[in-house]
Amino acid sequence: MKSKVNLCAETSFFRPIFFALALFLSGSLISQLYAQAQTVTGTVTASDGMPLPGVSIVDVNDPATGVVADFDGNYTIQLSSGTTSLRFSYIGFKAVVVPVNNQTTINVSMEEDVAALDEVVVVGYGTQKKATVTGAVTSVQGPALEASPAVSVSNSLAGRLPGVVIIQTSGEPGNDESSINIRGTNTLGNNSPLIVIDGIPDRDGGIGRLNPEDIDNISVLKDASAAIYGARAANGALIVTTKQGRTGRPTVTYKADFGLARPTRVPEMANAEEYLTIMNELAIFNSNIPVSQWGPAWDAFKADGSYTIPSSSETINAPFSPETVRGHAEGLDPWLYPDTDWFDDTFKDWSDQSRHNLSISGGGENVKYYSSIGYTDQDAYYRNSANRYQQYNFRINTDVKVNDYINAKLGFAYRKEDRKFPTEGAGAIFRMLMRGRPNEPAIWPNGLPGPDIENGQQPVVVTTNATGYDKQPTDYLQFTGNIDITQPWIEGLKLTLLAGVDQSQARRKRWETPWTLYYLDRENYINTGVPVLEGAIRSNFTDPRLTQASENILNTNLTALLNYDRVFAEDHTVNILAGITRETFQGEFFSAFRRNYISAAVDQLFAGGSLQQNTDGRAYNRTRLGYYGRVQYNFKEKYLAEFIWRYDGSYIFPGVDRFGFFPGFLAGWNISNEDWFNVSGIDYLKLRGSYGQMGNDQVFFNNSLQEFAFLSTYGFGEYPINGEVVTTLEETILANPSFTWERANNFNLGLDGIILNNKLSFTLEYFLNKRDQILIQKTGSTPGSSGIADLLPPVNAGKVDNEGFEFALNYYGGNEDSFKWDAGVNGGFAKNKVVFLDEIPGAPAYQRQEGKPINAYLVYQYDGVFRDEAEIAANTLDYSNVKPQLEPGDMKFKDVDGNGVIDDRDQVRLDENITPKFNFGATFNASYKNFDLAVLFQGATGASLPIQTESGDIGNFLKYSFDNRWSIDNPSSVHPRLASRGDTYYSGGGFGNNTYYLFSKDYIRLKNVQLAYNFPDKWLEPFGLTQFKVYVSGLNLVTWAKNDIYDPESTISSGQFYPQAKIINTGFTLKF
Amino acid sequence: MKNRRFYTLALAALTLLPLSCSEDFLDTKPLDKISADATWADGALSEAFIFNVYSYLGYGGFEEEALASLTDEAMFTHSGRNINVITEGSLSAATTGNTVIVPQWDELYLAIRQANIAIQELPEATFEDAELKDRLLGEARFLRAYYYHQLMRYYGSAPLIDRPYELDEDYSIARSTYAENVDFVLGDLDQAIALLDGKPQTPGRASKFSAMGLKSRVLLYAASDLRDGPTASANSSAHAGYSNLELVAYTGGDRMARWNAAKVASKELLDATSGYKLDLNAPVSPEAGFQNYLSIAMGGGSSVGDAAARAELLFERTHSPLFTVESQWPLGGIHQGINNGPNGYHNWAGNTPIQQLVDDYEMMDGSKFDWNNPTHSADPYANRDPRFYATILYDGADWKPRPSDVAAMDPNDQIQTGSYANGSGGVIPGIDTRDSPIENWNGSRTGYYVRKFIDADPALADNQSSAQVIPWPFIRYTEIALNYVEACLETGDEGEAINWLNKIRYRVGMPAVTATGSELVELYRNERRVELAYEEHRFFDARRWMIAPETLGRGIKVMRVSATLKPGATPLVPYRHDKNVYDYSYNVVDNTDNETRSWDDKMYFFPLNRDEINRNDKLIQNPGY
Repeated sequence: MKSKVNLCAETSFFRPIFFALALFLSGSLISQLYAQAQTVTGTVTASDGMPLPGVSIVDVNDPATGVVADFDGNYTIQLSSGTTSLRFSYIGFKAVVVPVNNQTTINVSMEEDVAALDEVVVVGYGTQKKATVTGAVTSVQGPALEASPAVSVSNSLAGRLPGVVIIQTSGEPGNDESSINIRGTNTLGNNSPLIVIDGIPDRDGGIGRLNPEDIDNISVLKDASAAIYGARAANGALIVTTKQGRTGRPTVTYKADFGLARPTRVPEMANAEEYLTIMNELAIFNSNIPVSQWGPAWDAFKADGSYTIPSSSETINAPFSPETVRGHAEGLDPWLYPDTDWFDDTFKDWSDQSRHNLSISGGGENVKYYSSIGYTDQDAYYRNSANRYQQYNFRINTDVKVNDYINAKLGFAYRKEDRKFPTEGAGAIFRMLMRGRPNEPAIWPNGLPGPDIENGQQPVVVTTNATGYDKQPTDYLQFTGNIDITQPWIEGLKLTLLAGVDQSQARRKRWETPWTLYYLDRENYINTGVPVLEGAIRSNFTDPRLTQASENILNTNLTALLNYDRVFAEDHTVNILAGITRETFQGEFFSAFRRNYISAAVDQLFAGGSLQQNTDGRAYNRTRLGYYGRVQYNFKEKYLAEFIWRYDGSYIFPGVDRFGFFPGFLAGWNISNEDWFNVSGIDYLKLRGSYGQMGNDQVFFNNSLQEFAFLSTYGFGEYPINGEVVTTLEETILANPSFTWERANNFNLGLDGIILNNKLSFTLEYFLNKRDQILIQKTGSTPGSSGIADLLPPVNAGKVDNEGFEFALNYYGGNEDSFKWDAGVNGGFAKNKVVFLDEIPGAPAYQRQEGKPINAYLVYQYDGVFRDEAEIAANTLDYSNVKPQLEPGDMKFKDVDGNGVIDDRDQVRLDENITPKFNFGATFNASYKNFDLAVLFQGATGASLPIQTESGDIGNFLKYSFDNRWSIDNPSSVHPRLASRGDTYYSGGGFGNNTYYLFSKDYIRLKNVQLAYNFPDKWLEPFGLTQFKVYVSGLNLVTWAKNDIYDPESTISSGQFYPQAKIINTGFTLKF
Repeated sequence: MKNRRFYTLALAALTLLPLSCSEDFLDTKPLDKISADATWADGALSEAFIFNVYSYLGYGGFEEEALASLTDEAMFTHSGRNINVITEGSLSAATTGNTVIVPQWDELYLAIRQANIAIQELPEATFEDAELKDRLLGEARFLRAYYYHQLMRYYGSAPLIDRPYELDEDYSIARSTYAENVDFVLGDLDQAIALLDGKPQTPGRASKFSAMGLKSRVLLYAASDLRDGPTASANSSAHAGYSNLELVAYTGGDRMARWNAAKVASKELLDATSGYKLDLNAPVSPEAGFQNYLSIAMGGGSSVGDAAARAELLFERTHSPLFTVESQWPLGGIHQGINNGPNGYHNWAGNTPIQQLVDDYEMMDGSKFDWNNPTHSADPYANRDPRFYATILYDGADWKPRPSDVAAMDPNDQIQTGSYANGSGGVIPGIDTRDSPIENWNGSRTGYYVRKFIDADPALADNQSSAQVIPWPFIRYTEIALNYVEACLETGDEGEAINWLNKIRYRVGMPAVTATGSELVELYRNERRVELAYEEHRFFDARRWMIAPETLGRGIKVMRVSATLKPGATPLVPYRHDKNVYDYSYNVVDNTDNETRSWDDKMYFFPLNRDEINRNDKLIQNPGY
């Protein structure tokens, strides 16, 4: 243990930092001006003459001196000199700079800024005026998100942020968050961006469950501008800022939403007649009936349900007689001949969701506050659903001006995410829904549940709490404290102390009880006509069982920032920032399990049996330390330069390689600010570029974070010896004493412009991200005989290039009093290429992963189908590695290497994977009189998904498969014979990976619409209301997709996932 | 003013100080791991390390997909498991087939590495208990030998690596010759025998007898046809054209000495301990024979078996019903019943016996079963070797109580794998068939289910919440007795061979052996096939004896049982097996649902994976690939 007493004199880094700091502070003392003090008062109005509250008024020569206009737009400011200028700024308005010239009254009228150049953009550890931003930063404002009825805010981001790839793969309440990636896939490892919330990076709970009403704005740092986050910045950063109060009269807002949800798409399955037809066909294909007799056999099956092979006298019975097929087809008797749509029987038509939010905000000169309380309730598609998501959230953000020099902010947020699930997971439920055979009953005509599909799993039952429950409530408590200290002696110098404390507790209580399903006594029913159902316990256990678990997390973040912001000689704006952050992440988990409950009456641990109990517990402790800074300079807002850096240390790396330096260089040129620039039609033009090196310290192998990979350690396991479970110790990973972060080398070029008389703004970005030192396991060059092939530690060896572009265009249309509109399109293209991943040598060039996108498909090339025996006879390729004897309906493959033999060398690495390369959105906003309309289209292209369901005797087929199949009656040369699961070479195994099953994921959808009506003021005033708005909105309302089998965002081949939701919503907002 | 300036500075400095100074706070410690050094300083921790070396053994024949299904014992019911790649001979370096059944090269070397770590660290370990140290070292030596023996029997021979590699070494290494492999394994086993002598015997851990048993097996395999270069080359086209025969066989040396070594090693084990009821002088009753064989299969892990039968086990994997890693899917030994039982019990069929195995069970009187014999073919399941009834479930066989939702359809708890006339022109499909109303996709394709290692306790339902604890026999006493018989036959000692064959047969109620010469060898081979059915022997025996082309290469034959009503009889509702009501006919048919089996001489060994050869360019591929 090192002693704390000596003020860590042995710490190498402390002294230079401290020295630099001291120098910095004292050096700044030099440039002090003393001048005559003066008081200025005035009123700020908008161009329509209405007073503007909340406008910020700052002395340009002393940014520490500033006030905010009150509710009536009035302000009073004390100036140290009457020769300075005042800068008036307010979001959504063009900033105005007025020279004081010793006046005592200055009234200002501010113009709305449609292109929002003066808008302040949040960047790492600070804000920047949009005009001076040099990085690739895109942002979305809270109101745009509020228009979306999606429960998870992550689902509202799609289509709004060019270059941000949002994919929602599941719609399950409580698990329906989208994945977020910036500029697609950049690494073989973890691709998640850093999420920063109110200045605290890596905040517990992330972005997905934030109350959208609380979000002021979200900024996305896509390039080197993220470098200030150092070793976690390689995948970019999403910076979320929550709302603060504004000076003015208190505003109370109540917003209520009521929505109805249903799946965007449910796979259409074969009906009973279709399914039985397929099963009868398969019985022929899989029998000893020679191919030449398939036709007669099929005729015989249809006529009388059996066929006898002449040569062997073997009789093959159709699994389903013609009478049975007819019975199901004609729906003769629901007891004997059901025609079940399992999705229909399991799902409601519409599921409810609702959301309520009450917020109060306002403030005086010294205290501003924003507070909100919200409730969200989301039901699942299932009838009597055991799945439900409820959220309670509460936030207070206060902003206190203690005195002229000290400003303090305190944020407190509480959130309960209350998830309830059925005891069977969504994957298992949807597996059974996909498998449910249409000729079997889900629900008997008298309402009792029919037999299971397998293992007691009957979707109609296991989606309800007839099987127990799985409650997973999580509580988050998050504090953010912030003190800004300025002082009168060093102009422009500010010290900010920031602390974040996140505590959460995730609990789980999973109570499993046996359940009963009902069976028809068929013989009795056939004989007597009286349906007798017998119940049987069909859960795969008979004793109730309980699992209880709890995970506690405590994250702390202590940050100190020193900011120096000055304008020298009116033209030279300098901003210098230096900071230190120290973070800890601690977690603790335990769980207990008991079974052998004698009854389901008491769902508490104590009541369980004493046998076969199990307990578990774990903990972790993670730390990070970073020193960072930024130097910004601009000359007359014409030439912009910025240098940002971070010296960052992460616990995950070995001591010697623990700290790294991450620089970012950014430069910009506001061309339109040049005196010589006078191009009509071009109102604004900025060229900018950046280069930065950033790190990624997230070492994930096999979906688990690889910690302490530099230590020689053994992990704990279990193994039975002598019938008892004993503890084992195992090598989990080979120690690598030296490895370090992944390194992102990100280049960006951007062009911002405003043209057509301030009507059209555009942004174009080009980027090239070269990621190296990617932490990989050297599996390609390490033979299995080394014994370490499964224990390989992280080494900095992988390389990936990612290149692409983004664009955003916004047109601000009519701006008359009664009709205003704007429209925008944006898109981002990103295509990555593996440069090195230690690929196993020996594969032909067209199969190599290197040179192709990460996880690009390696597949056989589908080449049609052998329509009949004549085509098989004409075939010249050698299929002996594929199948001993080809049959009609078998799939053809291309002989890629031309050697006449179909074998593994005929697989080809495509240029495509499961992730779209191009993502785009289009917005249209209009207001006419009291109506507001907001429309968002969103789409993606350039990805595909293999679709192969678990079908056959084990489960139902897609209607698509039935409609498009090779059959004896209707032989196809395009679509193959169907098969039971992997019974044929082309439906399972290696040859099952072929292009026939790849379906495009291209789509465009009407993602979000909101139409609102604002009641006129004259109706509101008698009630003391300032706003009453009613609206209808929707999510995922219409989708145009090439593949209409699953929702195009889905990533599960088998269809075994909870589908995404289409939501129709109504709501109102009341303000007073 | 100056003072306040100083205070500001001091304030700033003081707030930054605690943030910046303690970089050692980044030196967090793992809370879920233990350092390697601490482990070898502590006996209990070192023992825990050795326990992990066992964990790479897997479940043996209790994997969901069993080695039996790669032989003429069984077929696997579900397609898409890459079993046909192996049995049809389309194996190649790029397509190595099912990876669950066949121990993978990487996994075995990972296990060997763990043993190597122990062998390297234990002599230097700082804990005091010398007795424990010896025992652990003995176990590590045994386990290393076991894993190398797996490499040898699946892959021919392997590079010999006797120490744990470090990071960034040159890992390319050539295969050692087969003879060197044998010597290396024998060296480990001799040390294990010495180190484990006098140490406690714990089920699930290796003992001295485990090492002696494995030594017998390794020597027997080494003496066999497949491992004798000239014999192998004469019988296999793949070997004949192979220029590195020394990698898979002895190319010289005294073959008779090898047989004698196997004989001696086997006899040493037979003398050192005793099996279960191998001291009989006359056959027991068929009922007692059935019970004895059942007890051996239960291995002391079931209430229906004699606990004393555990004596058979020289090396086994034990099981625990506890809620642990054992109960995770895919299911291992505790769920053998689910993996292999009938669909009419909501089980998954798995590795179902094929007709060729059924036909190889002798009649009770020791004669061969013959479909051309009208008595046999009319009632093929009557008067068979008692081991048949303890190994195989067939149409009409009694079995456990049906689950509650099926009980009404079959109150008699009989296996139904046939189709039965319903009296009105149609048929009722058996509950345990692929036309069953119960989970038909899990029905047997062969008309049979395996019974042998399923806990026969009627009170223990085969479902996911009930676990059986039958141990998996990696090595058992009777195997060594059979090894001894084989070595005796090969060294001309027929009397001793017959003596031990009779002991094995008396125990199960079968009559004494009367054959001699090549007929006796045939009888021995059949005896071994029947006695050790489903125990992961047939796969290797058929290869060692080089009879695989005519045994393993055969197409699958399965049983189709159909019942017609006797004249004037009315069908039984619900159906039950009754020869007074129904006429049963038994038809053997070909089955190519999942596999069209054939033999190619390359199949004597698995191919070395192409990727492995590409990563280690010193490797030479096996014959025929």
